[in-house]
Amino acid sequence: MTSDVTELTPADYPLSINRPELLHTPTGKALADITMAAVVSGEVTNEDLRVTPDTLVMQGRIAESMGRRQLGENCRRAAEMTAIPDEEVLAMYNALRPNASSAEKLEEIAARLEGTYSATTCAALVREAAQVYAARNLLAEED
Amino acid sequence: MTAVEPRSEASVRASKRTEVLENRPVNLDGFVEEWPEKGLVAMESDFDPQPSVRVEDGRIVELDGRTREQFDFMDTFIADHAIDVDTTEAAMATESVEIARMLVDPRTPRAEIVALGRGLTPAKILDVVKLMNVVEIMMGIQKTRSRRTPANQAHSTSAKDNPIQVAADAAEGAVRGFAELETTLGVVRYAPLVAIGLQVGGQVGRGGVLTQCALEEATELDLGMRGITAYAETISIYGTESVFVDGDDTPWSKAFLASAYASRGIKMRFTSGTGSEVQMGNAEGRSMLYLEIRCILMAKGAGVQGLQNGSISCIGVPGAVPGGIRAVAAENLVASWMDLECASGNDQSFSHSAMRRTSRLLPQMLPGTDFVCSGYSAVPNKDNMFAGSNLDTEDYDDWNTIQRDMQVDGGLRHVREDVILQVRNKAARALQAVFAELDLPAITDEEVEAATYADSSDDYPDRDVLADLEGARSVMERGVTGLDLVKVLERTGFGDVAENYLQVLRQRVSGDLLQTAAIFTGDFVPLAAINDANDYAGPGTGYRLSGERWEELKKLRHVTSAENPEEEVV
Repeated sequence: MTSDVTELTPADYPLSINRPELLHTPTGKALADITMAAVVSGEVTNEDLRVTPDTLVMQGRIAESMGRRQLGENCRRAAEMTAIPDEEVLAMYNALRPNASSAEKLEEIAARLEGTYSATTCAALVREAAQVYAARNLLAEED
Repeated sequence: MTAVEPRSEASVRASKRTEVLENRPVNLDGFVEEWPEKGLVAMESDFDPQPSVRVEDGRIVELDGRTREQFDFMDTFIADHAIDVDTTEAAMATESVEIARMLVDPRTPRAEIVALGRGLTPAKILDVVKLMNVVEIMMGIQKTRSRRTPANQAHSTSAKDNPIQVAADAAEGAVRGFAELETTLGVVRYAPLVAIGLQVGGQVGRGGVLTQCALEEATELDLGMRGITAYAETISIYGTESVFVDGDDTPWSKAFLASAYASRGIKMRFTSGTGSEVQMGNAEGRSMLYLEIRCILMAKGAGVQGLQNGSISCIGVPGAVPGGIRAVAAENLVASWMDLECASGNDQSFSHSAMRRTSRLLPQMLPGTDFVCSGYSAVPNKDNMFAGSNLDTEDYDDWNTIQRDMQVDGGLRHVREDVILQVRNKAARALQAVFAELDLPAITDEEVEAATYADSSDDYPDRDVLADLEGARSVMERGVTGLDLVKVLERTGFGDVAENYLQVLRQRVSGDLLQTAAIFTGDFVPLAAINDANDYAGPGTGYRLSGERWEELKKLRHVTSAENPEEEVV
């Protein structure tokens, strides 16, 4: 990541207008490459229309520079989640619903987040949930 | 329906005056006495906790009279994620009346009061807003709302789930000025077609309009990921643990979901509101506003950029108790003060009285909020599948007139008939082309004609519902994406609509719409509480309705020319 990313300030927002050179698609295209011609020719696919972890970290920094600590944290968790396929994100969400998972299952998810996706802040959120669910009787019975 | 006999006996003669009053629409509304033990009380209850906080080793160990061992999961989440541990003891030591005055006093900058708010507990926040009357609450909203420029959001739905109607009304809504459009369904399986109708129609009226389809959480996320919708809002949270669990979620599952949306570059806000807990039968003896403040802090703790609140679908509950509408304004104030985007209600049928519907609206419309309505019905209320809104299409001219009377910007404008007919027709034709290209049940020219001139779903030919549902299923099975729709629109001669849609999808790459209160201008410039941060600091500052926009809002359906009283200004 370029050094100026750490120095992003509110003046850099919106990135799409003020700092387009910092933005790229998950397949490495520039924002300016997303044109109708490229869509029609098939050069731009749905995969291109996603945000990258780098961009989410940058937006998180801008949020934090506005005093929005939690929004910054959310962006960091989101940056980690970009690597997780859609279906698995939905499955993990469903597993976090009350009485849906045992402590073991939640630990399994946390370990997978950490091990497979290097999603350490997401894993921490799941472990925290497991602790609270245990205390509040919101874990599923062992299966 | 009333469960008890009216107090006046039929045998007692009533005056003519009483007869007149009895027949006024307001007397069809429901009113009820407070019952604080059950939480049927707006914001003043002896059963709410007293403010307190205690920090040990960098951790909050006591919150509003409960120690950590006594915390339910809301307390835990708020203590660990929402409240600033470093500042909380100092913030809590500030007198409530002093904080209330800072909220009202224009000489206290927004940043200062927002910073102080980061250290407050739910009971303390309640203690502060309880000191404020409704005008002071409006002053607070005017200052603390996050985005400088107010905006508005519409519902575009159909009693028959007719996608052509949704598309035409979306186009009209867009050209009238709504920044966001929302739909939902009668028959949920219709969702893909109606969401496509909304998206395509919404890109016709003007550029920069965002759309969403309110569904069960997982399905809503799925449509968002495909790019068929642009943002999400129906992510409900509740103020008691028991009701939260009844809703099949926890603060942690919802926080995870918030990150999931952001990870796909999709804008999202949570939804909560006074009265939901008592309506769902478990307010745990707390006032409606206390519980709503817990929701607001939970949302903040999750790091979601915004919140739809202002009672929302439960408005009948605070609306029935004394001071309830003041409490609804207070919850919008707290959401704004906690530095969240606030889509401020006014989105549900609320009263039979036109006067009461208007008065309920003013605390949001006059100070301005990020979205004055989080669902102005851009269809007649009988077509509103959110069970009707406080305002609908019949009220467009009234709304525009109130904007002009008061010189306030409620996000809408009067639009000439020829322009409206043109965009409605174009939306229907664009959707006709999309359906044809995707081998969905055909949209006939007769339906396009109907959409151009229609008011309600009654004015459209009936669709073959079974064929449509089959088509909806195939859209999901084939994995049709927003980009597919863009290509179809481009290929079929709707290049400008395709371009608008592509611009919306393209923004996912930048993440700009993930920032607080982000919307687009008509030219796709993101406006958020960063580059358009509210800078209200008293008279002469902040958002002022002036210049070109004010000229636009001076126009109404009928305005007499000053030069020639025989003519109307066009």
